[in-house]
Amino acid sequence: MENTTRAAQAAPASGAVPPPDAPPPVTPPPAAPSSLVSRHTSLGDDLDRVAPALRGGQALILAPWAAATWRSVSQVAIGFFVLLLAGVVALSVVPVFLVLTVLGVGIPLLAGVLAATSPLATLERARLEAQLHVRIPAPAHRRHGSASVWRQFLALLTDGRRWAAIAYAAVALLLVSVEAAVVWAGFGGSLAAVALPVYSTATDLTPAEVTPWVAAGVMGVWVTSWASQALALAHVRLARALLGPGQRGAVDEARAQAAMAQEQAAAAQERVEVAQVRAEHLTETRTRAVGAADTERRRIERDLHDGAQQRLVALGVELGAAKRAAAADPDAARDAIDHAHREVKEVLAELRDLVRGIHPAVLTDRGLDAALSALAARSPVPVEVDVPDADALADCSPAAQAAAYFVAAEALTNAARHADAATVRLVVRTRDDRLRLEVADDGRGGASELPGSGLEGLRGRVEALDGTFDLDSPPGAGTRLVVEVPCAS
Amino acid sequence: MRIVIAEDSVLLLDGLTRLLESEGHEVVGHRSADEAVAVLGRPTGPGNTLPDLLVTDVRMPPTHTDEGLRAAVHLRSLHPTLPVLVLSQYVEQRYASELFAGDVRSLGYLLKDRIADVDELLDAVGRVAGGGTVIDPEVVAQLLARARRPVLERLTAREREVLALMAEGRSNAAIAERLVVGTAAVEKHVTSILTKLELTPGADDHRRVLAVLRYLEHAPHRGDLS
Repeated sequence: MENTTRAAQAAPASGAVPPPDAPPPVTPPPAAPSSLVSRHTSLGDDLDRVAPALRGGQALILAPWAAATWRSVSQVAIGFFVLLLAGVVALSVVPVFLVLTVLGVGIPLLAGVLAATSPLATLERARLEAQLHVRIPAPAHRRHGSASVWRQFLALLTDGRRWAAIAYAAVALLLVSVEAAVVWAGFGGSLAAVALPVYSTATDLTPAEVTPWVAAGVMGVWVTSWASQALALAHVRLARALLGPGQRGAVDEARAQAAMAQEQAAAAQERVEVAQVRAEHLTETRTRAVGAADTERRRIERDLHDGAQQRLVALGVELGAAKRAAAADPDAARDAIDHAHREVKEVLAELRDLVRGIHPAVLTDRGLDAALSALAARSPVPVEVDVPDADALADCSPAAQAAAYFVAAEALTNAARHADAATVRLVVRTRDDRLRLEVADDGRGGASELPGSGLEGLRGRVEALDGTFDLDSPPGAGTRLVVEVPCAS
Repeated sequence: MRIVIAEDSVLLLDGLTRLLESEGHEVVGHRSADEAVAVLGRPTGPGNTLPDLLVTDVRMPPTHTDEGLRAAVHLRSLHPTLPVLVLSQYVEQRYASELFAGDVRSLGYLLKDRIADVDELLDAVGRVAGGGTVIDPEVVAQLLARARRPVLERLTAREREVLALMAEGRSNAAIAERLVVGTAAVEKHVTSILTKLELTPGADDHRRVLAVLRYLEHAPHRGDLS
């Protein structure tokens, strides 16, 4: 009955022990999306791109020849018309609609204007990116999907970023007007002053009177270059503030980043835990594997000592006696030699079995298929063998095949010796890079994993390869042993 | 007879040489399978005749796995009539089926333990050199065990004994002697076995062994035991 309880414990043991196949492969942490990290461009970056002259040094002197200057001029030329349209709408239509809203009829009109801010903002961001080479991220507008029309109106009306876009249209119109005035007047006036000697003949100005004008014109070219760069910078900062994601967007973004960091931390924590479980599992299975190897060595030593060694000693005695008797009593000597000869053959057979138990040559030379067939052929109990051919097993490591072989050998020995079985069925399969062996008999069951038993040793061997070992042996219902080992082990 | 032995164990090589020389044979020993292949693998001609028998171990240097067996198969493919007796520490049905894959005449496969029975060894040497087939009883037992199938169960116990001896390569007379019955009784059993196994009776003993071996090895054996 002790057997029964131990068998009952042994069967579900794959649940009691940390599941050997549980540790998932360690995956590298997901890379953080770069768009979240590089969203904010600092004032310094804008300064470098849009207004390098304000940094001073060589750029200050070379401002009239700088690409940034002429980009800012071209920006004004196109932006003026875009913003004139948008600004007029913002400054005239929106107040009218606001008034109408107070009267209760302007809401749909206002919503239409607010909805139109989105393409305008997109156009402006695209224009600034194309002309000034600055990238302004888009804000996340509130969306209500399939919500009611009223809710969608409400979403439009309460979206601060849309109101900011309207404010941009108004303020940017003023700003671009200033930019246009400065650029036009600055460059126009400066060129006129520089060109004064050309048309001064038409006037009565003396060279002494002309010279300060020319100097002022040259100065004006520089000053206008710096001013146009500075105004372009102001324009970009305004666009960033009113067309960008805004403060709420930045908070959301920070929150998203924090959430992602948290997620990564959790994943890392999980990996640490998996590694810990794995380390514990490895320590445990390693200890057991070493123990199993020791047990096996002791068994071999005992088998040799109690068997072959004793027999050889007896053989020596027998031959010694035969030698003594050879002259005096030839008949007795012949009997002794006959006996010794029989002994020798038995020792040889015993050694052969012993050596085969340590590692069968055919397993090394011809693989698991041949070794299991030979094992089945030697079994006193009829064995039905179902093994895939050598090619299918070729991907399985020698260690995995050896583990399967020894499990099969022990199971067949038990079936013949203890289980009183009439037939045994032995099935091997490979699937998902795992080698699965099932040995089932129709014997009396009740097999157990007593400490130091062959079955316990096999479990150690299998688990050291990250395999699973499942023994099901209810009394009176046969024994079923299922072992799975990774092919790569 | 001129006998070539390939055996890496000095003790065993000496013992075999002494034993065979005491029987009046001329013995040449080689310590590895490669050596034997180098000597015997040359084309035969006026100055180079094949020995009357090659005796080889299975496990030999350099890898100590199955060099001897592979050398035997290789030499038989070069010289199909060269008599070869393979001695092995282990007899495995798989090795046997590789060795006996072609012509089974003048081929033998014996467990090394049989050497202790000098008479049995000398008998095997004589039979293989004389064109016969010798298969170790243990291999036959493995083959029969693998072939536990309904059709074999139709045989009587006596018929199975006769089948095993047939598979070892024994003649009807030898089987009769072994089982202490008359030759006529053996012939009756053999006819009955061949009928039950649905094998057409052949004229000579080798064909008979060949047929039995093929039948036992290659007949489907997986999944139809029950």
